[in-house]
Amino acid sequence: MTTPFLKCVLAIVAKDLRAEMRSRELLSVMALFALLSILVFSFALELDRAARAEAVSGVLWVTLIFASLLGLNRSLAQESDQGNLDALLLAPVSRSAIFVGKFAGNSIFTGIVGLLLLPLMTVLYSMQMLDIRVIFTTLVGIVGFCSIGTLLATMTVHTRAREALLPIALLPVALPFLLTAVRATKGVLNGAPDWQVWLQLLAGITVIYVALCLLLYGFVVEE
Amino acid sequence: MAKEVAFEAAPQPRLLRVLTALTALGFLATLYLGLVVAGTDIEQGDIQRIFYIHMPSFFGAFTAFGATVVGGLLYLARKNDAWDRIALAGAEVGLAFALINLLTGAIWARPIWNTWWTWDPRLTSAAVMCLIYAAYLMLRAGIDDMSRKRNFMSVYGIFAFVSVLTTLFIIRIVPETIHPVIVGASPQNAQGSFEATSGVVTALAPSMLLWLTLMPITLMWHRYRLETRREALDQKMIQALGD
Amino acid sequence: MMNTIIAVAIMLCLLLAGGASASDHDETLPYYRMGAVNVPILEGWANQSSADFAQFELTEAQATIRTAFVSANNGIDAAQAELGEMLGMDIDGPVYSDKVNLADGTWNVLAFDIDEATTASSMARRSEAGFIVINFVERNPAARTVLVAITQADESRDVADPEIARMTEALAGVGLTQFSGVEVIDLASGTWRVFRHPELTAMGTVFGNESYVALQEGQPGDLATLADAYNRTLLGFFVTPDNSHYLALGLAVVFLILGTLVFSFSWRSRGIQRDLALIQQLAQSED
Repeated sequence: MTTPFLKCVLAIVAKDLRAEMRSRELLSVMALFALLSILVFSFALELDRAARAEAVSGVLWVTLIFASLLGLNRSLAQESDQGNLDALLLAPVSRSAIFVGKFAGNSIFTGIVGLLLLPLMTVLYSMQMLDIRVIFTTLVGIVGFCSIGTLLATMTVHTRAREALLPIALLPVALPFLLTAVRATKGVLNGAPDWQVWLQLLAGITVIYVALCLLLYGFVVEE
Repeated sequence: MAKEVAFEAAPQPRLLRVLTALTALGFLATLYLGLVVAGTDIEQGDIQRIFYIHMPSFFGAFTAFGATVVGGLLYLARKNDAWDRIALAGAEVGLAFALINLLTGAIWARPIWNTWWTWDPRLTSAAVMCLIYAAYLMLRAGIDDMSRKRNFMSVYGIFAFVSVLTTLFIIRIVPETIHPVIVGASPQNAQGSFEATSGVVTALAPSMLLWLTLMPITLMWHRYRLETRREALDQKMIQALGD
Repeated sequence: MMNTIIAVAIMLCLLLAGGASASDHDETLPYYRMGAVNVPILEGWANQSSADFAQFELTEAQATIRTAFVSANNGIDAAQAELGEMLGMDIDGPVYSDKVNLADGTWNVLAFDIDEATTASSMARRSEAGFIVINFVERNPAARTVLVAITQADESRDVADPEIARMTEALAGVGLTQFSGVEVIDLASGTWRVFRHPELTAMGTVFGNESYVALQEGQPGDLATLADAYNRTLLGFFVTPDNSHYLALGLAVVFLILGTLVFSFSWRSRGIQRDLALIQQLAQSED
């Protein structure tokens, strides 16, 4: 007898959110990192207006991805170090529900950071980032990236050098998200009509990756 | 998993020895065809001959990476360690071939495109492919638990294969490439293409055949045997420590 | 063992068969190859090429185009020496001399007035140790032909009229205004504008930033054919690049990577062998 899927997912997400409300460990680290990264980019690139329009979507995504890497590492390390994951696996819960729960939690945290970044970058880079299309692209990209991110972070917590291995394993595989998301965001910001094509491509890749991760997660947590 | 552990390396099966000899001979023969028999391309000069290795090596990598993904899927389905060893052999041999493909491409591009490297969609995706399989080997080396390692790497191999398919089909998706296509119509902006004349085809076809089949299969078989022996050694060590 | 040998033999036969069919790769390229220099073969012209030069002759026009590689110190000497060898006589200096920068280098542009019947035009460009010379010789007593290339002063133009005028005034003392109208013809080498005058025909085309001008005194009416053939030679010829050192580098990389792979296999295999022996030793010493 297994607990209903949705109930499980909600329970896991609620647990992660509650833990975060108490410790504020994950979000504060991710947000602070994102802020620092934005500042470093603005000093390092010293952009004029035209160059900024070109580079800003790249800055947004690189920042988001590295912030998300931090979060993914910590979120699964916590689970594993405190024996949480093992307990979850012992519980009569379907494997994909565990995945969806962790994946939803990670997406929510990264999504919050993304939604904080957009107004911040609007101010600091004086670009109109608070566009519904940009917000939508950002959220779709984050969901896609977090799907494969959650899967690979579950793997790398079992490795010796997990903090170092996660980016090495994740970045090349997640490059399709980075590429299409940057193109779509840039298209919206520059008013280029091809942003829609890139967004569709991004959404397509996201669907494929989420499906693959759902299918394969069971093998990753298998003992 | 009761298996007798051989102290001496099992003698190579005769088929493997035949394959090894054939591969070595075939490699020399295709080199002879490409370097001596085929005519010099009058527009590109001698460097065009590198193409007789450049393109076949990609397809060799394709075979090897294909073995990685098929081995991974079958391991997940059957839980037979042999499939995982095949997957590992494919990743290692495939990475070597993909590096050959990437580097010969860069060396060709220097005189023809006047640059070693350009961020063209196809070049980029080929480079990412190499990085992913390098990550595959690194990740593999980082996991201690054997059954966990096999599960993880099977899953990773499936995701990694996406990059191989992307490299193969990217010019159909993103046509802004300058990379020439020899079979079929080149994109309009392709630079440095040449015709697949009968001379090119006769030098290319045997090389293609060799790199697509003999080269990856032989090398992967040797790697497979090496892995079998390594795992046997590990088991023996655990046994010795347990005693 | 027998089937091994058979398999090897079959494989080798297949490869050699492939090689044999590849060796007759004598494809009818439209180029005459002279070492690394590829010269377009002119259709309708008699091919008199040898190992030292590519030469085409149009008998009815008594015109010859020869492309050759000449060792010399400068382009003018090279062209003059090659002309002398073609005609078997000493040649006086050029009546017209200029330099133009084409995509493949700086060319000397020369015109020679040799005797009553013979005129010659030359282009010469440095190539490694010497010069590549393209000579045009016309021996028709009824005509005097000059073929030259001139850099345009104004690069935005697509007609060669000012350069044609410059040449007609310089060599025949006739201004373009004295010609009766202009005629446009399409040839293999491009679109040419033709100006006619009693006893003088002038035509020109533009390719890149250069105007190509052809002048003919007399009335044989074959100027278009000659100008077209000369320009096809000039614009169509190319030198096969020598990049064999890149090929060597590429092969070195291939051998290095494959060698590293094979070496690492045998290295690791030896390591395993060593460890096994050690374990065996330990096991024996415990007994």
